[in-house]
Amino acid sequence: MMGQSEYLEVFIDESQEHLQTLNDHLMQLEKAPEDISIVGEIFRSAHTLKGMGATMGFEDLAHLTHNLENVLDLIRHEQMSVTSHVMDVVFESVDDLEEMITDIAGGGDGSRDVNETVQKLEALQNKDQEKAAASETAAAAVDSPQKPMQEQTAVQESYDEYERTVLKQSYEQGYNPYKIEITLDEQTMLKAARVYMIFDVLEQVGDIIKSTPPADDLEDENFEFSFVITVISSVEQEELKQRVLKVSEITNVSVEVVNVEEPVPEAESTSPSNAEEPAESAPAKKDEQKESAKSDKSEKHSGGSKKGSELNKTIRVNIDRLDVLMNLFEELVIDRGRLEQISSELNNNELSETVERMSRISGDLQEIILNMRMMPVDQVFNRFPRMVRSLSKELGKNVNLEISGAETELDRTIIDEIGDPLVHLIRNSIDHGIEQPDVREAAGKPAQGNVHLSAYHSGNNVFIEIEDDGNGIDKEKVIKKSLENGVVNEEDLEKMNDQQIFGLMFASGFSTAQEITDISGRGVGLDVVRNTFETLGGNITVNSVYGEGSLFSVQLPLTLSIIDVMLVEIGKEKYGVPLTAIVETAIVNKNEVYSAHAQKVIDFRGNVIPLVFLNEIFEVPDRESAKGNEYYSLVIVSKGDKIAGLVVDSLIGQHDVVLKSLGSYLSNVFAISGATILGDGQVALILDSNALIK
Amino acid sequence: MAVETADGYVKVIVFQLKDEEYAIEVNDVQSIEKMQTVTRIPGVEPYIIGVMNLRGIITPVLDLRKRFGLESRDYDEATRILVLKRDNSDIGFIVDGANDVMDIAASNIEPTPEVVGGVAEEYLRGVVKLEDRLFTLLHIDKILNKPEEKQRSGM
Amino acid sequence: MASVLIVDDASFMRMMIKDILTKNDFDIAGEAANGQEAVDLFNETQPDLVTMDITMPEKDGIAALKEILQQHPGAKVIMCSAMGQQSMVIDAIQAGAKDFIVKPFQADRVMDAVQKVMG
Repeated sequence: MMGQSEYLEVFIDESQEHLQTLNDHLMQLEKAPEDISIVGEIFRSAHTLKGMGATMGFEDLAHLTHNLENVLDLIRHEQMSVTSHVMDVVFESVDDLEEMITDIAGGGDGSRDVNETVQKLEALQNKDQEKAAASETAAAAVDSPQKPMQEQTAVQESYDEYERTVLKQSYEQGYNPYKIEITLDEQTMLKAARVYMIFDVLEQVGDIIKSTPPADDLEDENFEFSFVITVISSVEQEELKQRVLKVSEITNVSVEVVNVEEPVPEAESTSPSNAEEPAESAPAKKDEQKESAKSDKSEKHSGGSKKGSELNKTIRVNIDRLDVLMNLFEELVIDRGRLEQISSELNNNELSETVERMSRISGDLQEIILNMRMMPVDQVFNRFPRMVRSLSKELGKNVNLEISGAETELDRTIIDEIGDPLVHLIRNSIDHGIEQPDVREAAGKPAQGNVHLSAYHSGNNVFIEIEDDGNGIDKEKVIKKSLENGVVNEEDLEKMNDQQIFGLMFASGFSTAQEITDISGRGVGLDVVRNTFETLGGNITVNSVYGEGSLFSVQLPLTLSIIDVMLVEIGKEKYGVPLTAIVETAIVNKNEVYSAHAQKVIDFRGNVIPLVFLNEIFEVPDRESAKGNEYYSLVIVSKGDKIAGLVVDSLIGQHDVVLKSLGSYLSNVFAISGATILGDGQVALILDSNALIK
Repeated sequence: MAVETADGYVKVIVFQLKDEEYAIEVNDVQSIEKMQTVTRIPGVEPYIIGVMNLRGIITPVLDLRKRFGLESRDYDEATRILVLKRDNSDIGFIVDGANDVMDIAASNIEPTPEVVGGVAEEYLRGVVKLEDRLFTLLHIDKILNKPEEKQRSGM
Repeated sequence: MASVLIVDDASFMRMMIKDILTKNDFDIAGEAANGQEAVDLFNETQPDLVTMDITMPEKDGIAALKEILQQHPGAKVIMCSAMGQQSMVIDAIQAGAKDFIVKPFQADRVMDAVQKVMG
C-alpha cells in the first residue's frame, strides 16, 4: 500500500457521494422494483466503492461491498427479484457502509463488524443459487481441472501422434515449433485475461498448436500460475520470448524448440485438413468469449446510459479555501467602503470614476464568490427519504415523503447548520403528526400519510416548509402546557392569535423532559430548533388545523455574510438595520405621536404602529443633539404581519456590509445579530429587528 | 497547564492594574495593542466595554479594572489592550500598562493569599515573588466566565 | 517524457494513478471522467498513453477505447479493471487495448504495465 493520508480526503468525499447515489437509487428502485436499469447505477456505485475501499486498505468496507455487489449483480441479471426483504438487507449494508465512512471521516480506521450483514447478503445469494444449482453443478463438473500441475524443471510437454505430425509438417515447411512455459505472477488477478493476451501475442507471429492445461481450463482459470503453450512460428526463439514478456504480470518465460524427431512418429496418416483444427480451437473459443463479453457489456451499457448521472466539468475546492476567499473578499469590501468615502470627500472625477468602476467589479466578484458558496438544499434533503423510511417502519406508520425544490440553493454555512433541526421537524411530523394507518382510515383519511418537504426561493430568502396531513396541533393542549410550564401568562395569551399560540411550542421551557419521545425528542425541544434557525438569521413559524395537519415554515437568508443595511445614527452610535426587515423609512412630526395603552404609536398609512425608541432600549449616551428636533426619523420594520417603527436620530443611508459575528463570548446580546466594519474602520452593530417587535 | 521552558521557567507578560503588577502567560496572549476606538454594546455586563476592529476581526474588549471591581480611571497613553487567544475568538483586556515580558522560575510561583490588591482569589493562579517585585499570575478562564454562565454550565 | 491521459470516473482513482505516474516522471496529458471526455481529450492532447477505466457513466471505457483506436490506430491504451471484469478486459484486449491493470492498484504493477507498453 502506498502513502494514503493525502488521498483520504478525496476518498471520503467521493465515498459519500457514492453512498448518496446508492441511497437515492435504492429509493428509486424500491418504488420501481422492476426497473433493472436503476440497478446498473447502484451496482456501479457499489463497485467503485469496493475498488476505492480495497485500495485504501479498508478491508471490512471492501468485504461488505464485495458481497453487496454480488447481490446487486444477481438482481441486475434478473436472477434475483427485488423483494422488500432484499431491499432491507441492501439498505442495511448501505447503513453499515455509511457508518464506516463516517468513522473514517472522523479519523477512525473504518473497521466494523460486518459479519452479520455479510451473512445476510450471502444468504440472499445462496438462496438464489439453489435455484440454479442443478445446471451450475453440471457445468462445474465439466470444467473441473483435469490434470495435476506438472513439475517445471525444463518445459515438459507430451504430444500425441496427431500433434506430432502437425509439428513435423510445419517444421518441414520452414516453421519453428516451440514449446513455451509461462509463469504468471502469483498476484495476478485476472488470469484468464492474461492468458488471452498471451495467446493474442503468440497468434500474431504464429499458430498455437496446443496448450496444457487446455484452452478451456486456462480460460476458466483452472490452473495455478504456469502453463505450456506449443506454437509454430517463423520468428526466432529469443524474439518470441521477448514478445511474451511484453505482457505484464509474467514472472517467467522459457522457450524451447520442440524436437519433432524424437519419439519416432508412427505414420503420417492424418489428413492435412485436420491439421488446421487444433490451431483453430483457441481462436474459436475466443470468439465465444468475445460474444459473452459483448452481451455483458451491452447490458451494462443500456443500464448505465438510461439515466446517466450528469457529470459536469467541476473541480473540487476545499471548503476552507472558499472561506479564506470569502474572508479576503470581506476585507476588500471594507476597503471599498473606505475608498468610496475618500473619493466622495476628494471630489476628483478620475478618482470617482475609477472607484465606481472598482465598486462595480467587486460587486460582480461578490456575486460570483457568493454563488460559489451556494449549494442545493438537496445536500440536506437527500438523507431524509431513508430516514422517513426507517422511521415509519419503526413506528408502524405508512408515510410517503414528498420532496420538492431540492435544487434550491443556500449558502453552505447555512446548509451545514440546518440538517439537524430539519431532522427534528420531520421526525416530529411523523411521530406526532401522522397517525397510525387504522386511525387515519377511521378518520376518513388514506392509510398512507403524506409529509411534504419543500424549499423555495423568495426575495432574499429561502423558505423550507414541512407540511403533513396528520393530526395537526391541539391548540388547547398547547395552551394548557404553556400555562403549566410558565411559558406564557393568561393575560398575554388572550391577545394571541392561533399562529402565535402554536408558536409557543418553540418557547424554551415548553417541552419537558418526560414527554420527549425517543423519536422526535432526542433530548432537545423545539426551542433548540428555533434557536438554530434564528442564529442563522432566519425564523420558524407553524400553523395547523386540528385533525387535518400542520405546516412548519422556516425562513432562511440566502446567504449569511454580506447584507444590505440601512445605517442609522442614535446619539454618536451607528447601527445597521437589515434591509430585508425594512418596510420603509419615514420622518414624522413629534406631534403625530400619541399614546395608546402606555405605548407610543403613530398612525401610519391607516395603521396604528407602535414606536420603539432605540435610544431607550440601548441606553444610548450623549443624545443632547437630538433633543431639540421636532421630528422623529423612523425605520419601519416588519416581522411576519407585525410592524413597528424604530425611532432613530438620523438615517445615514443604505450600505452593503459584511455581517460578522460578535464571537462566542458575546453570543446572546439582546436585539443585536452581529457587527460590521464600516469604511472608516469603526465597528457598527447590526440590529435584529425581530427581537424588537413584540 | 503552565508551559514551562526546559529549565522550569514560565514566560509571562507583566502588566499594571492600579497599584499592582499582574502576569499572564505569553502563550495566552495574541498581541498587545494600544488603546483604540471601542464600539459600545448595549445591554451587556458593565465590564464588557464593547467590541473593536482588530485587523478585520470583531473583538470583544473587557475592562479588567471593572472586571475585578477596582475603581475606574480614564484611559491614557500607557493604556494597553492585551489580546488573548481563545478557541473561537480573541478577547481584549484593557490594562493600565504592559510593563515587560520575563521568564520566571516555576519555583518562584507560590500559592495565592486570599486577596491580592482587591482581586478576588478565584481569578488568581499564584503569586510570583522575585527579589524586588511581587506580582500575581491570573487565571484567564475564570476571568472570562460570566457570572450567569456559571449557573448555565450545568446544562 | 511520455504523456498519459488518465480516464476514470472516480477522481480518487485518477489521483492514485496520477500520483504513481508523476512519481515515475510521466507527464499527465489530462484527466477524463467518462468515455466521451476521454475521446475528446485524446483528440485534443494526443497522449502517448491512456489508462482507461472500464466502468464509467455516459460512455464506458471499452466504447471509448474502440472510438479512440478507430481514429488513432496506434493509440496505446491500458485498461483499468476491477476483479470480476475478466470478459470485459478480454473484450478490450480484443479491441486493441495494450494491457490491463487491476484495482486495487499497486504502484509497481501499474509501472510494469506502463513500461511494457511504452517500451
